[in-house]
Amino acid sequence: MKVRFLKKSLAWCCLLLLFIISCKKPETWDAEAYNEWYSGGQQTIWDQSAGAFSSMFPVISNRNALIHEVGDKAFEATFVSSGNLNPGLGPLFNSVACTSCHINDGRGTPIGPGTQMVSLLFRMSIPGEDPHGGPLGVPGFGGQLQQNAIFGAQPEAEVEINYSEQSASYADGTNYSLRVPNYSVVNAYAPLPGDVMFSPRIAPPVFGLGLLEAVNENTILEYEDESDADGDGISGKANYVWDVLASKNKIGRFGWKCGQPTVLQQSAGAYNEDMGITSFLFPIESTHGQTQHIDAVPEPEISDSLLYAVADYVRTLAVPARRNADDPQVKYGKQLFHDANCSSCHRPMMQTGVDVSFQEVSAQYIFPYTDLLLHDMGPDLADFRPDHRANGYEWRTPPLWGIGLTDIVNGHANFLHDGRARNLEEAILWHGGEAQQSKEIFRNMSAADRDALITFLKSL
Amino acid sequence: MKNKFTILMTMVLFITISSCTKEPETSDDVVTTPEDLGQKILDDFSNVVASDIYHDLSENTSLLYEHVLALQSAPDENLLTTCKQDWRNARSSWEKSEAFLFGPVSTENIDPRIDTWPVNFQDLEGELAGSHAFTHDYIDGLQDALKGFHPIEYLLFGQEGNKTHSEFNAREFEYLVALCENLKELTSSLNASWNTNSTSSYASTLMSAGPGNTVYGSKLSAYEEMVNAMAGICSEVAEGKMNEPFVLQDASLEESPFAFNSITDFTNNIRGVESVYLASFVEDGKGLEDLVRQHNLSLDSTIKSKIQQAIAALQNITVPFGQAIIEQPVQVQNAIDAITSLEETISTDLLQLVQLHGNL
Repeated sequence: MKVRFLKKSLAWCCLLLLFIISCKKPETWDAEAYNEWYSGGQQTIWDQSAGAFSSMFPVISNRNALIHEVGDKAFEATFVSSGNLNPGLGPLFNSVACTSCHINDGRGTPIGPGTQMVSLLFRMSIPGEDPHGGPLGVPGFGGQLQQNAIFGAQPEAEVEINYSEQSASYADGTNYSLRVPNYSVVNAYAPLPGDVMFSPRIAPPVFGLGLLEAVNENTILEYEDESDADGDGISGKANYVWDVLASKNKIGRFGWKCGQPTVLQQSAGAYNEDMGITSFLFPIESTHGQTQHIDAVPEPEISDSLLYAVADYVRTLAVPARRNADDPQVKYGKQLFHDANCSSCHRPMMQTGVDVSFQEVSAQYIFPYTDLLLHDMGPDLADFRPDHRANGYEWRTPPLWGIGLTDIVNGHANFLHDGRARNLEEAILWHGGEAQQSKEIFRNMSAADRDALITFLKSL
Repeated sequence: MKNKFTILMTMVLFITISSCTKEPETSDDVVTTPEDLGQKILDDFSNVVASDIYHDLSENTSLLYEHVLALQSAPDENLLTTCKQDWRNARSSWEKSEAFLFGPVSTENIDPRIDTWPVNFQDLEGELAGSHAFTHDYIDGLQDALKGFHPIEYLLFGQEGNKTHSEFNAREFEYLVALCENLKELTSSLNASWNTNSTSSYASTLMSAGPGNTVYGSKLSAYEEMVNAMAGICSEVAEGKMNEPFVLQDASLEESPFAFNSITDFTNNIRGVESVYLASFVEDGKGLEDLVRQHNLSLDSTIKSKIQQAIAALQNITVPFGQAIIEQPVQVQNAIDAITSLEETISTDLLQLVQLHGNL
């Protein structure tokens, strides 16, 4: 009798438990909260030293690891005019090695010690479009100003930078000052047309690009709202640019204006324009047709396999993990970041597409804090130079992952497309256009809240 | 009787234990807590290793500049020999400093400006044949492959490494002097950036690692920096400097070929790693070694023996490296293996130990 009673009770208990469980609303899985330490999904590394941007993917096939090593060496290689070791430099160039600008695979700075400009270059064009809808090169100069030359050739011009200070204050009365750059092109080897347009570009960090390349176009377009249909003041526009290898327009993802569709084309473009090195993708010297054109080395000056290896090296650079993501001030700063609507463009999370041929980047939750779209950033940041679908006010939302490690990796905290901002606060304060409202929210925050927001950014 | 024996044994044991304890290196070296040791490792790395090696480098490049100036005004074989030795001495300090290639040497772009390989020979010959004055600014604006250690080496030692003072022409002297001045200035600025007495130096940044420090937010991040840099140079020597010329059997890829100095360069790279680990250069201090010894004596002994094995393997190569890649492949492979093995221990075991126990 007693046993029977026990069995009965047990059965009732089980039923009750089942009822309770079934009544509980299933919790939604908050991928962001769960994974946010892992900025690069499975390709996150836990390194906060000067090498934080330079680690190979932690999960990688032996074959891709080998290619990464080959590409790493090529990325460091210094090019020279001729000879059997890295020949083909120039005749005009901005720098002699990938690492000259992307020091430690990181961010450039506008002025090096002395007056040498190592990692800031100037795109140039005249009104009109090239056959693929891109910027129209300047006759006698091309699409980029080369400020250096091999012996015997004359550089295209030099650029002088002067800064002036522009003071303003936060709502709480605290003063701040922004550094306003003024660029003058001097000593041009030939007269420049009166309607020439320049666009300064600083070398951005190169890690995590394989993951960004693996994001499906549709995922990017989810955030596109070109005509601001939802009326939140933020549009977001995809750029479409010419993919040389595919011979068609594709969505642009890389560069300050989303001007490049793939890591391969970005790399080949940099070889060609920055170093004067031809490849199968860009087999014509940037100086073709100019008086400086001296070309002793046959094209292509870099082999196909080496170009692919360099692109694969960049694709397989891991993303540094968050630091202090659970710190109360960081969490509060994150809330403020969302409240100020920063996350409308600096989209925290994306999922990469499925790619069976490159499993290292396939189906990953990543936290790049970018939407890979163009936004109007207002007249103060405008270069007034169109680049494919991007107008002169629009810039790509740059990824923020790893931004807190800039100081240790690159020894400075200069941000934005020409490095004018000297710290994260200034970078925020330069925001205008679609981001004007977010900036005003920041300007009206208390000092403690501003600190919390910056502390959050530094944890990325 | 039994009591007396116990007292005696206790004393013997005490003396034995005391004598086994490592003597503090200097009188102010007494470290009582893990936190003290943590701070001391950073202080001594900055004071005893980085700033002393950079000071040495700066002194040696100053001497080189002084002597090439004298050589230019009165060419003489003995003076040329002195200049060549100065170059080797400066090179020795520089290669040791490559065991900690972080901070201003990297972020201020000094490394490529003083140590780029290959040399752009076509442009170098153009410069020598040209007439542009080698002013301070002109040299500063030259591409990296036209300045620093290797163009200086080429001008001092000559293509075959046997240049004599009578083979120099006036233009070569002008270029040489200007390059040495540039090298002197850059290394002097490097030395200043690690001045441990200056509050704005990189040394103070490293020594003040911890909350509130914008570069090193924790002491652990500073130790990781040191360990990664040690591993980094081992990997650079084994996979880059040695393996590339070796697998391609191409002597033109060799660094420092004109002074036949490559094996010495590689050895000094490893000696630099040893200096960082032990915090020892001219003086001894508290280094990562002391942290490791508190937790894993066997790892300490492995690291030390692997350092010695790597150096010994390099010393087994008895001909200049460009020749050795053809004539002594076994010795070259052994050296690469020994350095790779050291790199693996540093980047895995040492790094893990530091990450486990370095949160001080």
